[in-house]
Amino acid sequence: MSDINDVKNIKIDKEDFEFVQLNEDIKDEKFQGEAIGFFKDAMLRFKKNKASIVAGWIILIIIIMAIIGPSMNGYTYREQHIDWALLPPRIPGLEKLGIFDGTKVMDVKKDNLDEKYAGCVVKILDEYDIEYMGSKTSMVKAKIDIYKLKDAEDVYFWLGTDSIGRDLWTRLWRGSRISLFIGIMSVLINMFIGVVYGAVSGYYGGWVDMVMQRIIEIIGGIPSLVLIILFVMYLGAGIVPFILAMILTGWIGMSRMIRAQFYKYKGQEYVLASRTMGAKDRTLIFRHILPNAIGPIITQATLAVPGAIFTESFLSYLGLGIEAPEPSIGVLLAEGQKVLLDHPHLTLFPAIIISLLMLSFNLFGNGLRDAFDPTLRGQE
Amino acid sequence: MKNREKVLQVKNLYITFNTFSGKVHGVRGVNFDLHKGETLAIVGESGSGKSVTNKAIMGILSKNANIEDGQILYKDKDLTKFSDKQFTKIRGSEISMIFQDPMSSLDPVMKIGKQIMEAMLVKENISKAEAKEKALNLMAAVGIPEPEKRFNQYPFQFSGGMRQRIVIAIALACDPDILICDEPTTALDVTIQAQILDLIKEIQEERQISVIFITHDLGVVANVADRVAVMYAGKIVETGTVDEIFYNPQHPYTWSLLASMPDLDTDASDELLVIPGTPPNMLYPPKGDAFAPRNRYAMKIDFKKEPPMFKVSDTHYAATWLLHPDAPKVEKPEALTRRIEKQKERQVADNE
Amino acid sequence: MLRYIVQRLIAMAITLFIIISISFFIIHSMPGSIVDDPMLPEDVKLAIEDKYHLNDPLPVQYGYFLKDFLSFNFGTSIKVQPRVSVFDIIKAKLPITLQVNIFSLILTVPVGIILGIVAALKKNRAADHIISIMVILFISVPSFVFAALLQYFVAFKWGLAPILLSTDATLTWTKFKSMILPVLALSFGGIATITRYMRAELCEALNSEYMLLAKTKGLSQVQATVRHAIRNSFIPLANIIIPMFFSILGGSMVIENIFGIPGLGQLSVSSINALDHPLTIATLFFYSLISLLSILVVDLSYGIIDPRIRIGGRK
Repeated sequence: MSDINDVKNIKIDKEDFEFVQLNEDIKDEKFQGEAIGFFKDAMLRFKKNKASIVAGWIILIIIIMAIIGPSMNGYTYREQHIDWALLPPRIPGLEKLGIFDGTKVMDVKKDNLDEKYAGCVVKILDEYDIEYMGSKTSMVKAKIDIYKLKDAEDVYFWLGTDSIGRDLWTRLWRGSRISLFIGIMSVLINMFIGVVYGAVSGYYGGWVDMVMQRIIEIIGGIPSLVLIILFVMYLGAGIVPFILAMILTGWIGMSRMIRAQFYKYKGQEYVLASRTMGAKDRTLIFRHILPNAIGPIITQATLAVPGAIFTESFLSYLGLGIEAPEPSIGVLLAEGQKVLLDHPHLTLFPAIIISLLMLSFNLFGNGLRDAFDPTLRGQE
Repeated sequence: MKNREKVLQVKNLYITFNTFSGKVHGVRGVNFDLHKGETLAIVGESGSGKSVTNKAIMGILSKNANIEDGQILYKDKDLTKFSDKQFTKIRGSEISMIFQDPMSSLDPVMKIGKQIMEAMLVKENISKAEAKEKALNLMAAVGIPEPEKRFNQYPFQFSGGMRQRIVIAIALACDPDILICDEPTTALDVTIQAQILDLIKEIQEERQISVIFITHDLGVVANVADRVAVMYAGKIVETGTVDEIFYNPQHPYTWSLLASMPDLDTDASDELLVIPGTPPNMLYPPKGDAFAPRNRYAMKIDFKKEPPMFKVSDTHYAATWLLHPDAPKVEKPEALTRRIEKQKERQVADNE
Repeated sequence: MLRYIVQRLIAMAITLFIIISISFFIIHSMPGSIVDDPMLPEDVKLAIEDKYHLNDPLPVQYGYFLKDFLSFNFGTSIKVQPRVSVFDIIKAKLPITLQVNIFSLILTVPVGIILGIVAALKKNRAADHIISIMVILFISVPSFVFAALLQYFVAFKWGLAPILLSTDATLTWTKFKSMILPVLALSFGGIATITRYMRAELCEALNSEYMLLAKTKGLSQVQATVRHAIRNSFIPLANIIIPMFFSILGGSMVIENIFGIPGLGQLSVSSINALDHPLTIATLFFYSLISLLSILVVDLSYGIIDPRIRIGGRK
């Protein structure tokens, strides 16, 4: 404030003191830039999220493989080769690199090397003695070509075979197909029921809402795991019973979210304005309120898929898996678990697929959530 | 008033924010002094930089803010150089602050009494009993009935106005010299607003503390302030005593603000002035006078060169080229002149 | 407050009633009668007929059934441990399961809270990013996959821990060591859930107005964080920590089988597979009971922790 009195010394042209807009009507500046629609905006934000994009690709690849994978080699998911049971993975081309070459490191008696394993030993890694009940046995740790051992030199099981000689590659993708189908179908149906229930409850409010919420409270109080187990016990394992079982309590989360959305939007001015102009309930619900919830609906549905896939696998572990010979990821895992220590490949591949699927759906869903609702960003 | 001791000096304060879209120039060279025992009102619309300036004084700027230039002098120390640790020492006991929304500024799960005593126990070396004694006195001083009973209650058991009283009590707990009130009545009912304003005024007079009162509401200013600074687009555009600002405003922005404010005498025939246009985008601070595009009286020079502070009187300054001796003489808008006349009449009537 | 508790109790009673009714319905409408199995010894068969009053009309059977369940009288096992009282079997298995679950809870809660606090305080910095990756991994990868990985690599390949649970009756060092892997497999998901929740709550609390007031009244950043932000973010945590006990319990159904833990989980799997329905239904009833109790504990604990409910009587 000190330099104020120097002002008079500043030289300024006279003409600069002309009014520019004295009699003009000053208007608000036009909004600059193009208006971007809600979904386009969400897409733009989504595209910035690298992890979600990668996750989306992984989901897509797994879905494509679930469709074409089972028919990529000559085997079927139920074709048994008892003689060729429990073969390790072997893929043409890759076998030359020393992986997926159909070999397995085994501890065998030295005496057996020249008889039982003649010609099948690829490499001897270690030799040692063990003592059992006073007698000494010479042992050898050797890499053995199991395919040769089982007279399957020209055969390739890309991911190996299970305990009755079924091709794991075919079963894995067919299992993924079934797991994905169960997961996605049950989520779609849950979504439909949840949206309808939540919309009715949230839109009409009052005693309708009261009664509907009490019902939810009671059903939601039953642990869903218990309900699902009881239900599958009753109906027997199968794709349809699984989907039905997951619908029993699965829609509750979606309906709660939709109800909250309706409560949030139905009192807002634009809805009231539309109502005073005589809009029907249907118009208000479908034109004015529900579109606000599309983002959360898609997000929640995406995040529900891994849950359904998990439940399916969980039931398989409990012995309530889908009926043989049909595979599912859960069935494969449960079968693999039984021979985990000797034949880890039977667990490894389904484990990778289910982990990738769940991880990808979660990342994809998180990306969608951030894209639709930027205020939640970073809240993991 | 002029010779009073200056307790706080803000000199050429310049603050920017890093955002995703670029650097936002929130405060662009703000100067003001705060005298002992006075109430300075800072008026401006949202985004004008009034809150940011005061957050800088408290040292609670958000992490993406940078103080680019300037000084904040308090007791010969420059607060812009303070670390958070140094600030902790002066917060509460030297400078204190109350916020807009009393609903959310109290910890919902801590008893009121404990929240008032907390700062005393941490900062002052006193016993719990003494602190309680002091807290109860404070509660009584800010107008809480039955402080003994209220002491052990939780925030949700208080009404909005009562909560704001509690917030004031908390702010006063360690006897600060300066109290910053950031829109303290905006979130309250009109009837409660007046009570809180009276309370702040009363406390200010009783304790002889200096108050910075931030608001967008000129109506509030007339009641509490001694001096007023009007902010626009990160700058102070006019500063003066309350009377000067209300009866002899110089800056077209102040005119617009005053003319857009309804009062009891406004009737249907009076036109309320609307300020056309929108505030400038502070990502790209305008050249010249930031208000020019919205100003009917804008001259060519306003788009070229930033106006300096022209002196109107010893206490009254305004940054508009209209005060330049070469500038054409402009009359205030008619509606405003009429209004000022009316107000003066009313004032005289009140005094009689 | 009292009205709130009564409301919750009534809802719980209805839920319990529905579970029992579904159980009754299932036992009675299973394909074929439960006494159809020709391999069933005659005395067991008679015992079942007597137990379920199979020769009485349905409503009477239902009455008996309801009465039996409410008095924890579930009859005897048919196949898993024939002629042994179901309640006794469960009583013997429950402590084993609880032991593992409680260890898991002891690990889950503090680790989850600490990681959540670290992530929130170091928001958008390296530590936060690492924790975020960990959270998404732990939430996505199913516990049984973790169990398989731990068992194969840690126990089998590297020999760092026993493959199966030790059979020691008491909690010896060997037993404790053998519990490490199952406890880990059970805990990962819970840790991630708590971390995620704690981080979100604390981030919100740190940005709250009351934190700002706490700072302007003169508390240091650390004091304000500990006294106000963390305190406040703990309250909603009860919402997920107590039900977590049930999700760990559910997870242990599978984990117990993988690590050979002779608990409630293994019991339910073997009874499901052996079609020992009385045993299965009773085990599931126990699971439901524990779940309902944990929900009740959440509701009640809110009444105690949160003064807004304790005094205000509203939520």
